[in-house]
Amino acid sequence: MTEFVEMMFVPLQELFEQFKAFLPGLFAMLVILVVGILLAKLIELILTKSLTAMKFDGWSDRMGVTTLMRKGDMWGKPSAVVGTVVFWLLTIVTLMGGMSALNVDAIDQLVAQFFGYLPRILSAVIVMVIGYVLTGFVSRAVLIATANRGFHYAKLLAEAVRFLLAVLIFAMVMEQLQIAPSIVLAAFSIVFGGIVAALAIAFGVGGIDAAKRVIERETMEKRAEEQKDEIEHL
Amino acid sequence: MDTAVLRAEVRAQLAQIGQADIVIGIPSYNSARTIGHVVRAVQAGLAKYFPEHKAVIVNADGGSTDGTMDVVRQSSVEDYKPIMLRERVEPIAKLAFPYSGIPGKGSAFRAVFEIARTLDAKACAVVDSDLRSITPEWIELLVKPVLEGGFDYVSPLYHRHKFDGTITNSIVYPLTRALYGKRVRQPIGGDFGFSGKLAQFYLSQDVWQSDVARFGIDIWMTTTALANDFKVAQSFLGAKIHDAKDPGADLSDMLYQVVSATFDLMERYPNVWMPIHGSEPVPTFGFEYTVGLEHINVDTSRMLHVFREASRNLGDMWLEILGNGDLREVERLASSDDESFRFPPGLWTRVIYDYAIAFHRQKMSAAHLIRSLVPLYIGKTASFVIEAQDMDQAEAEAEIEKLCKEFENEKDYLTTHWRQP
Repeated sequence: MTEFVEMMFVPLQELFEQFKAFLPGLFAMLVILVVGILLAKLIELILTKSLTAMKFDGWSDRMGVTTLMRKGDMWGKPSAVVGTVVFWLLTIVTLMGGMSALNVDAIDQLVAQFFGYLPRILSAVIVMVIGYVLTGFVSRAVLIATANRGFHYAKLLAEAVRFLLAVLIFAMVMEQLQIAPSIVLAAFSIVFGGIVAALAIAFGVGGIDAAKRVIERETMEKRAEEQKDEIEHL
Repeated sequence: MDTAVLRAEVRAQLAQIGQADIVIGIPSYNSARTIGHVVRAVQAGLAKYFPEHKAVIVNADGGSTDGTMDVVRQSSVEDYKPIMLRERVEPIAKLAFPYSGIPGKGSAFRAVFEIARTLDAKACAVVDSDLRSITPEWIELLVKPVLEGGFDYVSPLYHRHKFDGTITNSIVYPLTRALYGKRVRQPIGGDFGFSGKLAQFYLSQDVWQSDVARFGIDIWMTTTALANDFKVAQSFLGAKIHDAKDPGADLSDMLYQVVSATFDLMERYPNVWMPIHGSEPVPTFGFEYTVGLEHINVDTSRMLHVFREASRNLGDMWLEILGNGDLREVERLASSDDESFRFPPGLWTRVIYDYAIAFHRQKMSAAHLIRSLVPLYIGKTASFVIEAQDMDQAEAEAEIEKLCKEFENEKDYLTTHWRQP
């Protein structure tokens, strides 16, 4: 009977000892989590207020970031969205930090991998945001410049520029994230090279007459404009 | 005294001159072909109308490479007899130097204001360096209202071809008049008279590192004078003929510079322009006479082609700026044929007010916003050319007057939307 009780008690005792050893780590994790989340909330609040004061929402409107958010069904103010994103990033970082306090090898490895990858995620996000803003700006500039000259395919050209830039940005983001970099590089080279080759063939061989007509018409229109329009606008 | 914008040798020359009653500024950039005539006309004007006053001619140059400043130094009225004048009592000093600061007409004007302040000038004027039609009388007409009439700002009044100055006629004049309540016909004329007091006020404004230094100085000077209650008048100068326009000058750049400067000033003075209703004439000097003007060729079919193609391509952008109702009207207009094409004054007024409101709300980058106005402006100009084809000068002017009334009547639309968050 005593042996039977011991057989039951020893594992329980070992479990209790392990739990006792684990308890400070768990407690540390909880403290890290609570303090980390509170700090993250405070940073979110300060960041949102600062961005509002710096008129970040107006800038986002102008740059088309707000439109992108609306398309993605995000209806908050851009400053609030940035605040929320930063809050969750910090919360994830806090969670990882808290988990490493548990001193479990498997979790430690996971945490190390996460922190090793984090800079890549951040730089990919930055490339994506800057890329999106730049793409919108450049394609709109192309649209306006060509439309102001009466170009029939202005919208098509602007969309083509937007698409090409989006492909470029996508390749850059994938390269940052190190997701199948060799395949992405090869695919990008094939797509971009293919487009350029197609245009060269279309204009150089198949569309040589059409290209000639377009250039001649543009030149003639320009000449006619210079000769005929003598208005002084100012 | 802040004369940081003037070089040491200019300051030394100013110290020698000491004081002057009148300062005439001529900003220039590669104007060697025309500036000699302008300098001689200014000299003759000073000799004829202000012989007892000490005067200085200032050429602030933007780094010309064609010897503009040498022409200024060499140009003078050698013989006063053919223009029926005696040698003037007070000699006229002449300064020609490259200005410092951001390249642009505004920086050139700033140098002129600095010199006016240093010399404690009572009256000043600035005239363009590419003028071919300037006469000695221009100096009298720009300076005398300041020197003897107690005015602070004298705007020019020209006779121009009915198709010229379309940005002024369809945007800047109606808008400035509706906003500030004064009928200054050529707010961006380029040739102005002003008092020493106003020159000092201009200098005290913190704008010399902004776009005002580069472009938009003309509308800035006029609006600043109007919004700060300076006494404003205008003088009839006759025809404005200047050197052939720069073929590289792009309409979209011109429109951007003028319209962005005008909208920027709306941001600066909302408390001044919002309560104003209607407008009143400003005192006008000079003897008005009819001027024979050269015929102008305009290809309206090409202009309408640009307008129609743009309305197909820029619809999404215009929707964001104009709203659904006005965009539908613009699209209807684009589908009308060349003969019946008429841009209604009410629609044009709302277009300009919508753009001002979009600029105020920073809906998109200012450059993109204003450049997207170009095809609408081209459509409006084509409409005016078609309408005014058989009109004489007075009838064409009456059309502009109608448009101005529309801007005044619709001003509540602007103020109401401006206030909304």
